[in-house]
Amino acid sequence: MNVLYILIPLALLLLAGAVWAFFWAVSSGQFDDLDTPAMRVILDDDKKPPEAEDS
Amino acid sequence: MSHSACFHCALPVDPRDTYFVDIDGQQQPVCCPGCKAVAELIRDTGMSNYYALRETPEPGVGRPADDAAEWQIYDSADMTAAFAEGDDATAEATIYVGGMYCAACSWLIETSMARVAGVESADINPVTHRLRVRWRRDEVGLGGVLATLANLGYDPQPLAPESAARPELLEQRAALKRLLVASLGMMQVMMFAIGLYAGDFQGMEPSMQRFLRWVSFAVTTPVVFYSARPFFTSAWRGLLARSPGMDLPVSIAVGSAYAGSIYATLTNATAVWYDSVVMFVFFLTLGRFLEMRARHRSIDRSVALSNVLPNTVTLVDGDDRRTIPSNQLVAGNVVLVRPGESIPADGVLVDGNTSVDEALLTGEATPKAKAPGDELVAGSINLDGVIRMQVETTGADTTLGTISRLSERARYARPAYVQLADRVASYIVIAILVVAAVVGTYWAIAAPDRAFVITLSVLVVTCPCALALATPAAFAAAGTRLAQLRLLVTNGNAIEVLARTRRILFDKTGTVTQGSPAIDSIEILDEGYAEQEVRQVAAALETVSTHPIARAFALPQNDRVATDQQVAVGRGVAGTIAGQEWRLGRADYVGADTDEGGIYLGFDGQAVARFQVSDQLREDSAKTIERLGELGLASGLISGDSVAAVEQTAVRLGIADYHADCSPEQKLDLIRSLQDSGEAVVMVGDGINDAPVLAGADASIALAHGAELAQTSADILLVGNTLMPVATAVDIARGTLRVVRQNLAWAIGYNSLALPLAALGYVPPWAAAIGMSASSLIVVLNALRINRFGAS
Repeated sequence: MNVLYILIPLALLLLAGAVWAFFWAVSSGQFDDLDTPAMRVILDDDKKPPEAEDS
Repeated sequence: MSHSACFHCALPVDPRDTYFVDIDGQQQPVCCPGCKAVAELIRDTGMSNYYALRETPEPGVGRPADDAAEWQIYDSADMTAAFAEGDDATAEATIYVGGMYCAACSWLIETSMARVAGVESADINPVTHRLRVRWRRDEVGLGGVLATLANLGYDPQPLAPESAARPELLEQRAALKRLLVASLGMMQVMMFAIGLYAGDFQGMEPSMQRFLRWVSFAVTTPVVFYSARPFFTSAWRGLLARSPGMDLPVSIAVGSAYAGSIYATLTNATAVWYDSVVMFVFFLTLGRFLEMRARHRSIDRSVALSNVLPNTVTLVDGDDRRTIPSNQLVAGNVVLVRPGESIPADGVLVDGNTSVDEALLTGEATPKAKAPGDELVAGSINLDGVIRMQVETTGADTTLGTISRLSERARYARPAYVQLADRVASYIVIAILVVAAVVGTYWAIAAPDRAFVITLSVLVVTCPCALALATPAAFAAAGTRLAQLRLLVTNGNAIEVLARTRRILFDKTGTVTQGSPAIDSIEILDEGYAEQEVRQVAAALETVSTHPIARAFALPQNDRVATDQQVAVGRGVAGTIAGQEWRLGRADYVGADTDEGGIYLGFDGQAVARFQVSDQLREDSAKTIERLGELGLASGLISGDSVAAVEQTAVRLGIADYHADCSPEQKLDLIRSLQDSGEAVVMVGDGINDAPVLAGADASIALAHGAELAQTSADILLVGNTLMPVATAVDIARGTLRVVRQNLAWAIGYNSLALPLAALGYVPPWAAAIGMSASSLIVVLNALRINRFGAS
């Protein structure tokens, strides 16, 4: 059980890292729009212009 | 020809004059070269997916403006400074994108902006229609950015930096961070708590127990001091204002459980309550977050006003013409206004003849003729002549500014039921504190060692958490459901009013009617002509006119073609068809002997036919009124139009209660007198003249394609061309209130069962916290049922 004395502080460090990363993401505006991303998944934006294929 | 609607903008396509675009190997019809260009642009940039994913547009939305504005003006240092901020290398501006209507639009805009050389980032918010764009000054200018949007068929409006500030965005960021800290903290502490509880049953080394307690303390601390901070500050504010809110018992419970846990950790007492603290804070923060999201769905006023008035004006200074930002206009300036532009300020027409559309201000759909010396009102639209006007008043002093101030004032004089809810909450809070104190005192005497734990359980169990969530959760779900039906709720109170109202008042022009004229009847004055024939002649003549009335004459199919068409401003149009010169317009212009009103068609001074043009009813107006009747609501019609016109409309809709010839003040008086007799009045309208009326009603619904200002004083915006959602909204609002009542009954029932148990010492704090969370969860799940309401 003594391994917990190391694993739990390690988990807390990871937790702190995750919180820091999330704070950075929020502050840089990545979470400002909570409505479109749900839509974005079903759009593929790498479709080629049709001329390139048929003419 | 199976297709009759434009592939891009959904307007009817003229079969004689159809353009085609090749989209994914299919020839699709479009109505004009502008739409063809936009559709080809979208295709050539590989974004034709847009057409597959978008919602069907309102006809005409997305059609590029005929007179493409001179966007280069915005590249000048002056204009850039007025709308953009940033450093020497990059600039950033917020642009309101008019004409976007669905999420596919935001994808199209972001993707195309990303392809503009020099644009660093572009983010659009589909709810507020604001595009935040950042570009490198040496590669592209504001004008180039705006031109890209205009080329896609949108109507971009750059916003001045002050109106672009987004306090709600900062609030959302802070709330997200708090929510994340609380949720991660809860997961961690719960994990340690499971270990601790297992230790209670199976036995655990004292050193390990101490360790887990200290770790829990470390994780709980940021949750209490960061995530729960708003509760403490709000509780403190409530105390200072002598009206304790829901946050006071929350703060006491969180604060004392946290302090008690620290004490227990230090003294190695039998129990700690870190798990209860974090779970409690998490659910409260989640509730607040959902409530905040619902609140932010409102649309701010500054956008609306800047949308009605032009951003730039053409200043005439002798022979010199300059384009300046309209906020630099002062009294005495002479400005040039072209057809299709809106009047930038109140003033007097000095040169030119035209007719203007003052529908925004008067609700009257018929254009008014203006000659030199006539007054012009800011926000009205110049229809057919190039004019010069002298500016008299600008900004907040204009008629438009006054009306918007009036609506602002009416907004603050809201009925008092909102304050009542707050007062009731205060009583509940005081009751909880009294009960907790009594229980604490009793146990302090009866069993001092258990007093703290039991008092804590009472505070947690009676936490008004489910009570606090009961209403906002239901209202947030109702907001989402209504948004799916194209009703945007900007004020949650409207839902409550909508549920209990028995009276709903409609404005006429643009609300129960379409707001654009159409041909009512055709009277043949010369027996030699058939109705079909005169209809086609008139349609052919009107093809050149941009006047709103011309749209009434448009035919999808026409064998006749007019040449040499000429527009006589404010009088009519003339043109040659099959060698004959025809005239269409006012009686004296055509040369009719008698003038019975309406529009005459004729040639050589002989009238052939008379058209009666009027505003048409919306297709589902009558059905909506009928449905509202079934729901037990009395509908009324209230309008600034003439008695005859209003009466006719009322009869056709089956409305017995109608009021004609009303000024905005009279409309407001009527609503006030109904309110004095104890009725909750819902007003449905559009147009700036309705803004004070909408704000004065208990709840208001505005049709969103009408004047933008009216939308902002409305509690609910109706997007789209149908009226039926109004009736559906009443249905959903009633369902919502039913859910709220169930939720409140559940929360109160749970509390009244749990409170005695906790007071008797049968509920440990962790069980209290779980019970509290479960009861909150049930409330939220019940609220989610609203998402299925109104489906038929």
